[in-house]
Amino acid sequence: MTADATSVRRWPVRPRPRPRELALLAVVAPTLLLGFATLRTQQLAAAGTDRLTLGDPIVPALYLGLLFAAHAILTLAGRQTDQVLLPAVGLLGGLGLLLMERLPPSLVVQRFGPLELGLGSLQLLWLGLALAIIAAFGVLVRSDTWLRLYKYSWAAAGIALLLAVFVLGHEVNGARLTLCLGPVCGQPSELLKVILVVFLAGYLSENRALLASRRSRLGPLGLPPLQHLLPMLATWAIALAIVIVQRDLGAALLFFAIFLALLYVATARWSDVALGLILFVAGSAALYLLLPHVRTRIDIWLDPWAQAQGAGYQTVRALYAFGRGGILGTGLGAGLPQVGDVPAIPAVHTDFAFTALAEETGYLGSLAILATYAVLVERGLRIAARSADDFRALLAAGLTLVIGIQAVIIVGGNARLIPLTGITAPFLSYGGSSLLANAVAVGLLLALSDRGVALPPPPRRPAAERLVAGLRAAGDRVERAIT
Amino acid sequence: MDGFLLTLWLLRLAFLAGLFFFLFAVARILLRDLHAAAREPGAELGRLVVVESPGEDAPAAGSVFPLDAVSTMGRGVNNTIVLDDAFASADHAALSYRGREWFLEDLGSTNGTYLNSQRIGGPVRVGFGDEVTVGRVRLRLERARR
Amino acid sequence: MSAGRSPYDTAPPVAAAILRVGLALLIAFGALAVGIARWQVWEAEALTMAPDDPLVLAAQRSAPRGPIVDTRGVVLAETELVGGEARRQYRSVAAAPILGYWSPVFGTSGLERAYDAELIGLAGGSPSEALLRKFERSPYDPATLHLSIDLRLQEKAAQLLGADRGAIVAIEPATGRILALVSSPGYDASRIADPAEGPAYFATLREDPASPLLDRATQGLYVPGSVLKVATALAALDSGAVAPETIFRDQPAEERTGHVVEGFRVRDGHHPMTGDRALDLRRAIEVSCNIYFARTAVLLGGERFRAWGTAAGFDAPIPFELPTAASQLTDRPPGPNGGFRDDAELANAGYGQAQVLVTPLQMALLAAAVANDGVAMRPHLVDAVEWSDGSRRATAPEAWRRIAAPTSAAVVREAMQQAVEGRWGRAFAGAAKVPGVPTAGKSGTAELGGSGEPHSWFIGFAPVEGARIAVAVVVEHGGRGAERAVPLAGQLMAFYLGLGR
Repeated sequence: MTADATSVRRWPVRPRPRPRELALLAVVAPTLLLGFATLRTQQLAAAGTDRLTLGDPIVPALYLGLLFAAHAILTLAGRQTDQVLLPAVGLLGGLGLLLMERLPPSLVVQRFGPLELGLGSLQLLWLGLALAIIAAFGVLVRSDTWLRLYKYSWAAAGIALLLAVFVLGHEVNGARLTLCLGPVCGQPSELLKVILVVFLAGYLSENRALLASRRSRLGPLGLPPLQHLLPMLATWAIALAIVIVQRDLGAALLFFAIFLALLYVATARWSDVALGLILFVAGSAALYLLLPHVRTRIDIWLDPWAQAQGAGYQTVRALYAFGRGGILGTGLGAGLPQVGDVPAIPAVHTDFAFTALAEETGYLGSLAILATYAVLVERGLRIAARSADDFRALLAAGLTLVIGIQAVIIVGGNARLIPLTGITAPFLSYGGSSLLANAVAVGLLLALSDRGVALPPPPRRPAAERLVAGLRAAGDRVERAIT
Repeated sequence: MDGFLLTLWLLRLAFLAGLFFFLFAVARILLRDLHAAAREPGAELGRLVVVESPGEDAPAAGSVFPLDAVSTMGRGVNNTIVLDDAFASADHAALSYRGREWFLEDLGSTNGTYLNSQRIGGPVRVGFGDEVTVGRVRLRLERARR
Repeated sequence: MSAGRSPYDTAPPVAAAILRVGLALLIAFGALAVGIARWQVWEAEALTMAPDDPLVLAAQRSAPRGPIVDTRGVVLAETELVGGEARRQYRSVAAAPILGYWSPVFGTSGLERAYDAELIGLAGGSPSEALLRKFERSPYDPATLHLSIDLRLQEKAAQLLGADRGAIVAIEPATGRILALVSSPGYDASRIADPAEGPAYFATLREDPASPLLDRATQGLYVPGSVLKVATALAALDSGAVAPETIFRDQPAEERTGHVVEGFRVRDGHHPMTGDRALDLRRAIEVSCNIYFARTAVLLGGERFRAWGTAAGFDAPIPFELPTAASQLTDRPPGPNGGFRDDAELANAGYGQAQVLVTPLQMALLAAAVANDGVAMRPHLVDAVEWSDGSRRATAPEAWRRIAAPTSAAVVREAMQQAVEGRWGRAFAGAAKVPGVPTAGKSGTAELGGSGEPHSWFIGFAPVEGARIAVAVVVEHGGRGAERAVPLAGQLMAFYLGLGR
């Protein structure tokens, strides 16, 4: 053994370069700049002047600056976290920003004291906060104890939040989703989905062996023991309550889908998923029969043209927008998201952000956005699969599914593959709550992707298991005493 | 055909191309990771199992750490194996795999690193079953499972 | 009780389940990609041409709409920009039932509606052209519609009809090209398109009891009377129910007493010159013998008569660029006896009464098919759509239906020539004769019941062999066929054949 071989150099700690992230950001930045250039040039041409222009460079400069700042912070922190998540989120956020910059700023206006911000500026503000959250979680979160140990507290907080919306929420467009604290309003269901995942990850990781092993039989279905069915029924009931009280079909669908997917990850049993689907179908059928707004949604989905000037207006206009886009798109800024001051599709900046981008960037753009979502899903599930223990695996999988399933639900709704439900397209749509909640999810994923982070505590037997074991031991002792 | 419009369209197509170039770059990374993952079962060269622990924030007895070719130990959060024990230094010791053998090296810790209860000076060879002590945490080197 | 293996260790590893969930999501994304392709690729063109698409609505207001010209290039309709607003100008009032109108207020009708996307310029020729158009400053490439109509014939026909209500369809038998299509009364589409005058004028048209907005040639349903005997003859010959030589021995006697079918007495007696002679098929057409065709229809049977009608284009709208109404032999759905209530209805239908209702277009196609050896060509108004770069989408002549066997058509052709030129026929339809040209035809008098004057009908073609024009003429309440429709058709065919090509 030579001296050279035996001398171990110190493992380089902070800062740690992130070459892949940098390389990907180096693709994202010029792409978004090109997007801004075509958008501003188109807008100038529409006003009658043919000149290539980047317009006001402040918006893209600020956004890209924030993106690279997040990269710099992660680099300086020196953790071995995932390097694809940030660029992918950055690209989606940038596309959303391109759309919000293109729509009339008066669509959403919020005052902060003397400062009045329009749609584009607000979206930039929220994106900045979202990137800050991602960077902060990616740097600071090194232990999952605060999530792991207090799962019931989180669940209680979530239910409290839900009840607060039920009681105090404001009704907007017939859906009661908004909760206002002073001047700032938010949609708690966005945060609720993250809390739901934290609770489910804690609950399922502790009980998954029991859920997976012991079955009570009901006809052809092997069921988990009754007390373990309760969470499923509870989630189902909460989802129904959300639909009935909040009229928020999207959130209900999302919650239930996440629950079923995580249950499957925990137990690997199709029968549980089948049972959940039966509950889903039964619940949907009942809601269809009982609630007119659910029925309207389904009817529009089946034939939007039947009421093209009424309830189906939004959907029909969205399909026309897809058609106008074609394969190559109309070009950024050249589509028809608004005729005069009226958006060609109502709620284009929230529910139909994907459609508007699909019109202006064409089928190719649609594919790119879908693929970017798929990339987020792949990275998240990879982090889950490589996690050190079940809690982290379920947590990472759940957080990924929050983003992935939400994207599927809203894009499917936009393209009339499933009934339209009013939820946002992650990172594309306008909306502070949505951006921040999804940023929390990505930030946690980033933290979970660090393999150097403190190891999870050794598994504990679930409380019930400990009790049974104790009783058995006591029984053994009694038996010995008798014999 | 209008020159200005043609230019604008070229820019638009370049924008779309940028989106797909991003995806292409990501796909390359994903594939590389996939290949790395395929090699991974063999990549776990060994494992450290905690035999004795002071508790508190230090990893509990029974915890298992898979080992890379070079694994650093210590209280600092950037170590491969974080041993949050008051008696461990921030960057305490390193385990490295060279030429089919394991070597343990002290990284200038305050309380020293012990191999089978003997404080080490320079880098020493470690065998499977040997016990390494860092601060109050005792760990045993074991063969990689599978 | 030893610690044993905790159930924790026996739980299946999560990695495999995560992989499956990932695959499921991947499939979902794939399904989304396919679902979006449906709207953005496959149905994109159709969606962008939908009349309530905001882009189309915007183009309606500002885009220069393409012109419509007749077969010789004479402009029938074109767009002028009046103060930034597109205004449609129609050069011929006579062409209104073909062109329809285009108005920012009332929308579109006629060919303006059928070819809306092409006229606006949203519908491209080839996909590569559509792609290239993306790079043009204006996304619109308004096309020119070249019609098969000859404006001279169209105006002549309108002038011949004059103030009478009615319709004329002239068609080129060998190709299906519509040469003229007139509905009277008509309207002035330019006045509808005029934003100032439009609303008041449109309201007047709507309330007019003469329904000038109704295209009588394609959507007017008329009792055909004797012109339907051509159809009965073709159906009976084709099925073998009668031969050209078939005679009914009782027919001469029944001319005086009437022919009784199930208690209904078919009366005739309007051709006394045939006397006691029992007529064969040719003669029966020549003198338009009701009793002969009442008996023929019963002999043929409702089942076969109805089946022939359906095959000849009855019972369904005719595929055409303009909306068409479905002609009918009876008003009841197919069933026993072809849907005819009884043989009395069938017998009356055999000479074009009872519940038979036809459109002038269907009758013109019938005449054209007889001229064209039994084949009706698919009728069309638009010969070609032409784009500014010279590319064209031409309409190729296409067989639509075989209405009769060539032999049957030949027999009926001879008979129809006799009906115009024969010794006896001349008395009925002689006025349709084009001087110097062998002419064939059949007149009709559609009895409407009550005291009103009957509809005056004529269908025919000239020359008999290699016909260049087939016509159907109906004049509402025009009296007997011979009084109004027959001379009108004769003048029209003579005018057309006298035109330089």
